[in-house]
Amino acid sequence: MNRKAVAVLLSGAMICSLGASFTASAEESDSHTLTVYAWDASFNIPALEAAALDYQTNVDPDFVLDIVEQSGSSDIETLITNVASAGESAYDQLPDIVLFQDHYFEQYLTNYPDVWQNVDDADIVWDNFAEEKLSFSTIDGVHYGVPVDGGTCIAAYRVDLLEEAGYTIDDLTGITWSEFIDIGEAVYNATGKYLLCFNSDGNDLIYIMLQEEGVSQFQDGEPYISENETLVEVVNLIVEMVQRNVLSLSNSWDDYTNTQIQGDQVAGVINGNWIIPTIQNVSENAGLWEITSLPTLSGEEGYASNGGSSLYITANCQDVDLAKDFLAYTFGGGSYEETGTSITYDNALTNGGVVTTYAPAGESDVYSQGVAYWNDTAIYQQIAAMTTEVTPVEQSAYHYTVREYLGAAIVNILNGSDTESELASAEEQIRFAMGL
Amino acid sequence: MKKKKRFGLLTKQSIAGWVWLTPATVLIAIMSFYPMVQAFITSLKTGSSANMQWAEPILYNYTRMFKDQTFMRSVGNTFFYLIIQVPIMLVLAMLLAQLLNNKDLKFKGVFRTCVFLPCAMSLVSYSVIFKSLFATEGLINTVLVNLGILQTGYNFLGNSGSAKIVIIIALIWRWTGYNMVFFLAGLQTIEYSVYEAAKIDGANSWKTFWGITVPLLKPTIVMTAIMSINGTLQLFDESVNLTNGGPAFSTITMSHYIYNNAFGTGVANFGYASAMSFFIFILVAILSMIQMKVGDTRD
Repeated sequence: MNRKAVAVLLSGAMICSLGASFTASAEESDSHTLTVYAWDASFNIPALEAAALDYQTNVDPDFVLDIVEQSGSSDIETLITNVASAGESAYDQLPDIVLFQDHYFEQYLTNYPDVWQNVDDADIVWDNFAEEKLSFSTIDGVHYGVPVDGGTCIAAYRVDLLEEAGYTIDDLTGITWSEFIDIGEAVYNATGKYLLCFNSDGNDLIYIMLQEEGVSQFQDGEPYISENETLVEVVNLIVEMVQRNVLSLSNSWDDYTNTQIQGDQVAGVINGNWIIPTIQNVSENAGLWEITSLPTLSGEEGYASNGGSSLYITANCQDVDLAKDFLAYTFGGGSYEETGTSITYDNALTNGGVVTTYAPAGESDVYSQGVAYWNDTAIYQQIAAMTTEVTPVEQSAYHYTVREYLGAAIVNILNGSDTESELASAEEQIRFAMGL
Repeated sequence: MKKKKRFGLLTKQSIAGWVWLTPATVLIAIMSFYPMVQAFITSLKTGSSANMQWAEPILYNYTRMFKDQTFMRSVGNTFFYLIIQVPIMLVLAMLLAQLLNNKDLKFKGVFRTCVFLPCAMSLVSYSVIFKSLFATEGLINTVLVNLGILQTGYNFLGNSGSAKIVIIIALIWRWTGYNMVFFLAGLQTIEYSVYEAAKIDGANSWKTFWGITVPLLKPTIVMTAIMSINGTLQLFDESVNLTNGGPAFSTITMSHYIYNNAFGTGVANFGYASAMSFFIFILVAILSMIQMKVGDTRD
C-alpha cells in the first residue's frame, strides 16, 4: 500500500514538473525578455549585466536579460553544432542571443547558415567600431554580430624586474624583436624570470607577430606558410627566444594562466587585453606592472589583436526587433549617442575590464583614470588608442587549425628538426585538413 | 469440459523465454544497433552536419584517413601504448593476484581494496592528479630535485618521450587493480591440491607460478587481454586531460583525434569522424578474433 502511494506521489510530481516546464517555455514570447548564453563570469558576464542595466535604465524598465553562464566558449560551439545537425525542429533549444568566438564565426556561418540572423539593418553606426574587429563578424558585407570586447594585444611587463636588469618600460617600447631578445636574456640572467610566455599547444604568438606586420597565414583562402618569408622569420625568432631563455612555452592553457602567469614565473606577458584579469589575480604584484605596445621586426611600435568575441542573434529569437534594438542601444553605442555616456561600456570596463572597440566610448572618463594595479597608469586609454592602430589581415575559418599545426612545428623545431621541412610538412597537413 | 491446451509445456516455456528476452533485445537494437547503422551511413557522407551529402566517391572518408598524417600518427601512438602497457599491466596484475591469494596473508581484504581502489576513481580526476604530479613544479620533480637527481624540474609532459611514459604509468596505475580482480577470481578456481602436489615435487614458487598458475589461468588471461586491448584502442581521457595530445601530436590517441574532428576544434566533421570510428571498430574486431583463436582451449 505504502509503496503504491509513494509511486503515485512520485509520478504525480513528475507530471507536475513536466507541466511546469511546459508553462515556463510558453512564457518566452513576452517581449521584455531576452536570453543570452555567454561564458567567463569575470569578463563577459559583467559586460552583459552592464548592457542589461543600460537598457533597463534608459529604454525599458521591465526589460530582463536572462544571462545563462556556460563553462566555456566551446559549450556554445557544441550547442550550435548539435542543434544545427538535429535540424530545424531543435532550434527551440537555442537562446535568443549567443556570445561567440570571433575566429570561429565564419566557419559556423558557412556550415550552419540557417542558425543565424543578421543584424545588418540594426540602428548601428558601424564606422565607430574598429575595422579589424568587424572583419570577423561581417561576412560578404553583411553584419551578423555586435562586438563586445576587442582583442587588442598588450605587452605587459613587470617594471621592478626590468629595473633589476637595468631597463625601463621605455626601453621596451618601439624596439625590434632582436633587441627584445637581448633584453629578455638580460632579464632572465638577472632575475630568473622569462620576459615572455605562451602555451605550446595553442601558440598565438605567430599570429600576433604576423599581424603586427600586416601579414596573414592565409593568402586568397589558401594557407601561406613555407613561402611566407615573414612567417619563416617569425618562427626563427620564436625558436631563438626559447633557446635564449626569453620565452617559456608551457604545456597547456591551464599551465599558461595558472602556473606561469599566476605562479609568478614571468616578467612579461603579451596577449589580447582579456589576459589582464589573469595578471591581476596575483595581488602581491600590484603596482609593479605596466603596459606598452609590442616589438616589431622593424623596430616601430607594434599593434595586433587576438581573440575576443561578439554577440549574435540566433534563428530561435522570437522578437528579433527587440534583440536588434537591445544590441544597437547597448553594445552598438546607441546609449552613448543619446545620453553622452554609455552605461554598458563604462560598467563593462569597471566591473569586467572589458575594453571596447567602439571608439567614442574610449573618450569616457572611466577610461582615462589610472589603474592602481598598473602603477596608476591609464592602461585602458592606452589600449583604446592601440585598438585604432590594428590593421586587418586576411582571416580564415581554419585559423585554429593553422595555430595547432604551426605550434606543433615549433615544438618539433625546438627538438632539433629542420625549420624548412617542418613548415613544409605543417603546410601540407593544413592543406589536407582544409580539403585542398 | 476442460479446454484443450493450445500449447505444450515446452512451447510455453520457449514463448516465455522470448517474452523475457524481448525488452532487452528491443532496447539494445534501439540504443546500440540503430546508432551503429546510422553511424555507418554517416561515415559515407561529407559536408556540413546540417546538410550532409553522399561522399563522392562513396568511400572518400575511408580513403582519406590513410592519407591523414595526424590520424596515422594517432594510430601509431595508440599501438605504442598497447604494445608497451598491456603486457606490463597484465603480468603485474597476475603477480599481485598471486601475492594476494596467499592463504597465510593477513589483512587480505585491506590490500585487495587498496590495489583495486584506483579503479574506482574518475578517469578525469586521476588524469588531472597525474598531470599535477608530473608538472614541472610538481611533486615528482620536487622530490627528484631535492634528492639531487635532477638540477632543475624536468618538463615530463612537454617532451614527447616522457609524456608517453607518463601516460603509460598512469594507465598501469589505473587499470592493474581492475585486472587483478579477474585474476583473483580465476585463482580461486584452481584447486589447492595442485599446488600441494607441485610443492611435494619440489617446485619453487616461481616455477609453480609459470608452470601451474599461468596455464590454468589461460581463459582469464585471454579475457583480460581482450578487454585491455579493446580499452587501449579506445583510449581517450588520458590523452585529452593529461597532455591534450601534445607536444606536437606525439601523444594523441585515435579516439582523441576523432573527438577533435567531431567536436574538439572547429566545425564538426561527423562523416570523417564516423569513418575513423569504424576503423577502430574493425581493428578491435580483428584483434579480438586473433585473441580468441590463440586462446581457444578446445583441441
